[in-house]
Amino acid sequence: MKSAQTSAASLTPSQPKRGSGLPRKIAKRYDLYLMLLLPIAWYLIFHYGPLYGLQIAFKNFNPAKGIFGSPWEGFGHFERFFDSYYFWRLLWNTISINLFSLLIAFPIPILLALLVNEIRSKHFSKWLQNITYIPHFISVVVIVGILNAMLSPTGPINMLIEALGGTPTRFLEEAGWFKTIFIGSNIWQNMGWQSIIYIAALSGVNPQLYEAAKMDGASRLRRIWHVSLPGIAPVIVILLILDIGHFMNVGFEKILLMQNNLNLESSDVISTFVYTTGVLKGEYSYTAAIGLFNSVINLILLLMVNRFARKTSETSLW
Amino acid sequence: MRKHWGKKAMTMMIVSGLILGGCSGNGNGNGNSNSGSEKENTPSAAAGESAVKTDGFPIVDEPLKLKMFTRIAPANGPFKEMPVFQDYEKMSNIQVEFIESPTDGFPEKKNLLFASNELPDALYRSALSPLETVRYGSAGQLIPLEDLIDQYAPNLKALMEEYPEIRAGITSPEGHIYSIPGIVTLGSARTDKRWINKSWLEKLNLEVPETTDELYDVLLAFRDGDPNGNGQPDELPMTARKGLQIVNFMAGSFGLDLQLGYNININDGKVEIWSGSERHKELLMYLNKLYSEKLLDQELFSHTEAQYLAKQGTGNTGLFYDQTNNNFLPIMDQYVGIAPQAGPHDDRLQSNVAPVPRDFGAFAITSVNEHPEATMRWIDYFYGDEGSTLLRFGREGEHYEMKDGIPYYTEEFLAIEGAQGKMTPYAGGGAPHIINDKVASFINPPQVQEAYEQLEPYMPEIRYAAPMFDEATAQQVNVLRNDIDKYFEEQSTKFIVGALSFDKWDEFQATLKKMNLEELQKIYQEAYDKMAK
Amino acid sequence: MSKQQTLKSKSDERVFDAIVYAIAAVIMIIVLYPLVYVVSASFSDPSKVLSGDVWLLPKGISLDAYTSIMDNDKIWRGYLNSIIYTVVGTVINILMTLLAAYPLSRPDLPGRNGFMVLITLTMFFGGGLIPTYLLVKDLGMVNTMWALIIPGAIATYNLIVMRTYFQTSIPWELQEAAHMDGCSNWRLLLSIILPLSKPIIAVMVLFYAVGHWNSFFPALIYLQNEELHPLQLVLREILMISQSAFEGGSIGLEKQILLAETIKFAVIIISSLPVLIMYPFVQKHFVKGVMIGSIKG
Repeated sequence: MKSAQTSAASLTPSQPKRGSGLPRKIAKRYDLYLMLLLPIAWYLIFHYGPLYGLQIAFKNFNPAKGIFGSPWEGFGHFERFFDSYYFWRLLWNTISINLFSLLIAFPIPILLALLVNEIRSKHFSKWLQNITYIPHFISVVVIVGILNAMLSPTGPINMLIEALGGTPTRFLEEAGWFKTIFIGSNIWQNMGWQSIIYIAALSGVNPQLYEAAKMDGASRLRRIWHVSLPGIAPVIVILLILDIGHFMNVGFEKILLMQNNLNLESSDVISTFVYTTGVLKGEYSYTAAIGLFNSVINLILLLMVNRFARKTSETSLW
Repeated sequence: MRKHWGKKAMTMMIVSGLILGGCSGNGNGNGNSNSGSEKENTPSAAAGESAVKTDGFPIVDEPLKLKMFTRIAPANGPFKEMPVFQDYEKMSNIQVEFIESPTDGFPEKKNLLFASNELPDALYRSALSPLETVRYGSAGQLIPLEDLIDQYAPNLKALMEEYPEIRAGITSPEGHIYSIPGIVTLGSARTDKRWINKSWLEKLNLEVPETTDELYDVLLAFRDGDPNGNGQPDELPMTARKGLQIVNFMAGSFGLDLQLGYNININDGKVEIWSGSERHKELLMYLNKLYSEKLLDQELFSHTEAQYLAKQGTGNTGLFYDQTNNNFLPIMDQYVGIAPQAGPHDDRLQSNVAPVPRDFGAFAITSVNEHPEATMRWIDYFYGDEGSTLLRFGREGEHYEMKDGIPYYTEEFLAIEGAQGKMTPYAGGGAPHIINDKVASFINPPQVQEAYEQLEPYMPEIRYAAPMFDEATAQQVNVLRNDIDKYFEEQSTKFIVGALSFDKWDEFQATLKKMNLEELQKIYQEAYDKMAK
Repeated sequence: MSKQQTLKSKSDERVFDAIVYAIAAVIMIIVLYPLVYVVSASFSDPSKVLSGDVWLLPKGISLDAYTSIMDNDKIWRGYLNSIIYTVVGTVINILMTLLAAYPLSRPDLPGRNGFMVLITLTMFFGGGLIPTYLLVKDLGMVNTMWALIIPGAIATYNLIVMRTYFQTSIPWELQEAAHMDGCSNWRLLLSIILPLSKPIIAVMVLFYAVGHWNSFFPALIYLQNEELHPLQLVLREILMISQSAFEGGSIGLEKQILLAETIKFAVIIISSLPVLIMYPFVQKHFVKGVMIGSIKG
C-alpha cells in the first residue's frame, strides 16, 4: 500500500513541465470531474441549498413568518439549553453511553467478521452470517417488548436468578442497569449487520498473503493478527472516524421506549430531551439550536480524530 | 492547496445557500399567488358571500367548494365515504374536499402547511395547541372567529353562553378566538370511573370504601383474603394507566384539584400550584404505603396501554379507572362504579376531570378562505343535537334507530367489525362537535351511567381549561414547565416507589423553588384573572 | 523435526477450530432465541403474549394476526410500491455513489480534499425539515416517488465507505498500468474497477436497499396520496392503533389494541421477508479471491 502511494506521488509530478502543473493535471483528468459533476451538483442543491434553514437556531422561528421573516434571538436558545437544570445530566449520559458503545460495541462486529472468516465450513459460515444479521430487521418497539418480557420480575432471567438463590431485580426500573441493557441489546441487534462491511473487506484481502504467512509457520491467531487485521485496518479506521463523528447522537426512539421515571437518572440523553421538549412541542428553534450544538461538537471530534488518523495510519477522510 | 480549496468550498456553499434561499423565497410567493388565482376560478366566489343565510338549509344557494385539512385515524376510512359528509353536502350545498393526513406524521404536516403557506380553507379535527393558535392567529394565517360565531353559529353561541368556561378557555389574551374546541357537556365523558371488584367485596364481606383508610383496608383484604379463591396470592388489588395518572385520581382525596390543566387549586380567586405542598406530601406518602405493601400494581410505571387493558379484562383486578366498561364487557357484572374516597382532612373530590371544551383547537378557518361565514355555519351544525347525531350515528334506519328520543346503533350495524370507525369521524377522537346526553347512548350505557352518578356529587363545580397565553408568555411557560414538570414527575415517581426517602422532601421543595415555581404561579394567576373578568 | 512441528500445528489447528465453532454456536443461540420468540409470539393468542406466558413456543395458537394483515389490501399495494421504490432508488443510489466515490478515491485528483470536506460537512449540518420540504416542493416532487428517491440519492456514509474500499483494495499500480495503455478514466471505471468491486457493491446494494425498504419518514412527509404509500407506512398505521390515545367507546377497540400486540410480530416477519430472501444473493459476492482471479484473468 505504502509503495503504491509513494510511486503515485513520484510518478505524477515528473510528467508535466514546471509552471503549468496544476491546470494540466486538471485538464488531463477532466473526465474524473465529469463523473463528479452530477454528485457535486446534487450535494449543492440538496444539502447546501436548504442550509439557510440553520439560522432558525438563532431566531425565534414562527412558521407563519417563514425562516427569513422570523425575529432574531441570538444565542438565547443555546443559553436556555445550557441553563437547563438537566444540562449536565444530559451531557454526561450522552457521553458515557457513546463512550461505552465505542469501547465495547464497536470492536464486536470486527471480531465477529474475523470469526466468520476463520470458519472453514462454507455452509456453517453462511448460516452464522444469515442468523446474526436478522435481528437488525426487528423494529425497536419489538426489541423493547422482548427486553420487557425477558427482564420482567416474572421473566426467564429473574426466574433463573431466583433458582440460583438470588433476589429478583426490576432491571428496567433501575438506573444502574440501564446502560448495560441498552448497549448490550444494541450489540445483540446490530453486530451481524455491522460485520457485513468487514466481511466484505476481508474477502478483498489477497489470499496469497495467507499462503505466505502459512509458509512462514505462522499460527492461525498470528495470521489473523498479521494478515486479516491489517487487511481491513483502513476500513476499521474510517468507520471509527465516522462513528466518532456521530458521538453526540444517540438514537432516541429506543431510549424513549425504555425510559421511565425510575431510570431517567441514566437514560435521559440529549436526543430524547430534544424530542420531548422540542419536537413534540413544535419548538423548532430550540431543537435546531441543540442540534447545532451537537453537530459542532461532533465536527470538532471528527476533525481531531481524522488528523490523528492521518498522522498515524495513513488512512483518513482527507 | 488544501486551504485554497477549503475556501472555495466555503464560498460555494454560501453562494448556493443564498441562491437557493432566494429561490425558495420566490417559491413561497408563487404559492401565494397560485392559491389566489385558484379562488378566482371558483365561480361562486363573489356571489357566495352575500348568499349565506343565517338559518335554514341549504346554507348557500349556489354550490360551494371548501378544502379542509384533517387527521385520519387508523380506524377511519376516507372521509368522503362517510354518510355524515355525503348527506350534509346535499343538505348544505357545500362540498368539502378533505386533505387527509394519517395520525402518524400529522403534527409535522400541519406545521409544514403553515410554514410553506399552502393553506387549506379550514382545519378540521386539527388539535391545534394554544401556542399554535396564538402564533398563526396573530400572524394572520388563522382568522378571528368571535364575530362569525356571534352571527353564524347559533348552536355554538348558545353553548358558550351556558358554559362560560368555553369562552374563557379559547379566547386569546387579545380577545380573539382563533379555533373552536370539541365540546363535552356530558359529565360522564369527562372523567374516568372508579371500578371496584364487587364480587370480591361480597366474598370478603366488605363494604365499599368511603375513606382512604377504608380503601387501604379493602386493598389489604384483596391482597391477603384470596378473593378469587384459587389458593394463590395472585390478586392485583389496584392498578391504573401507566405513570402518574394515579396521582391525579387520588389527589381529590387530599384536597388537591387540577384546575387550568395543571396542578392547581383555585381558592377565592387565588391560584395555588400545589406541587411540593404538605398535602402533596401526604398524598405521595399514602401512595408509597400502597406501593410498598404491593397493594398498588408493581408494574404501574412500566406496563403498556395494551397490558393495562388486558388487566381490566381478567377479572383478577380489585380496583382500576376507566371512562367506560368497554374493556371488561364479558365480566361487567363483577364490577361496580364507586365514589372517590374522603381523605384524612375530609376532602372528597373527583379531581381527574376534563373541561367542557375538552378537545382544544379542533376547528379553525384560515385567511385564504373566501367564505368564512358559510364555513362557520357549516361547522356550527355539529354543535347541535341533530348535527351531532348525524356525525356520530349516521343515517336513521341504516345505522341507528331512535328509542325514547335517543339514537342507538342498530344491532346489525354493531355486528360488523370495524364498521363504526369507517362510518363516523368521531372514532379516533378530536372531532369538532358536541357530546351531550342526547348522543351518548353508546359510550354511556346504564352501568357507566350508574358509575357516573356515584361520582357526580364530587365533581368540581367548574373546570377551567388550560388558559391561553400570548406568544411570549407561552414561551416562558414552556421554559419553566420543561424543567419543573420533568422534575416533579421523576421525583414523585421515586417517592411513590420508595427509591427516594421522604427525608429528601425539603430538598424537593427547595429545588422546585429554585426552578421558579412562584414565577409560574404568578403567570397562571394573571391568566386566571383575565379569564375571570 | 519438521514432521513434529506440522503435527503440533495440526492439533493446534484442531483446537483453534473447536474454539471457533464453539463461539459461533453460542452466538447463534443467543441471536436465535429472540427470533424464535418473535415467530412464536406472532402465532400466539395476544393475551398470552401480554401476560408473559409466551417465551419460547407459541401458546394458544392463533392466526388472527396474519389473517388481519392479509385481508388488508393496502398492504399489497404498499408491498408493490416499496418494491418499486427500493429497486429504482437503489439503482440511482449505486450510480450516484459510484460516480462520486471513484474520482474521490484517486490520489492524483487535484482538489480531492476540498470535495471531501464539502461532502463530509453535510453529515453535520443540515437546513432541517422546512427548507428541504420547500425545495422538494419547488422541484415539483411532492406526491411523487421521486421525493423519496432524489433527496436521498447519496448517503455520505456509504460514499465514504465505498471510496475507502477503492483506495485500499484496488492496487493503484493496476490503474496506472491501464492508464499507460491509454485507457480513459471511464473505461477504467467500467472495465477494471467495477469487476474488482463486487463485494463492496454488494454491500452497498444491501445497505441502500434496506434503507429504502425500511424508510417511512420521507413518505410520511411528502406523499399525500394514499395509493403511493410504501409498505412501512401502511404497517405503521396498523401498529399505531396500539399506541395512540382513543376516545372511549369505539366499537371493538380493545380487541384491536390487543390484536395489534401480536400483529406487530407478524408485521416484522412479513415486512422483512423480502430482505431476508435477498441476503444470500448478496452474500454470494463476498467470496474470497475475487480480486486475484480477475487480475490474473
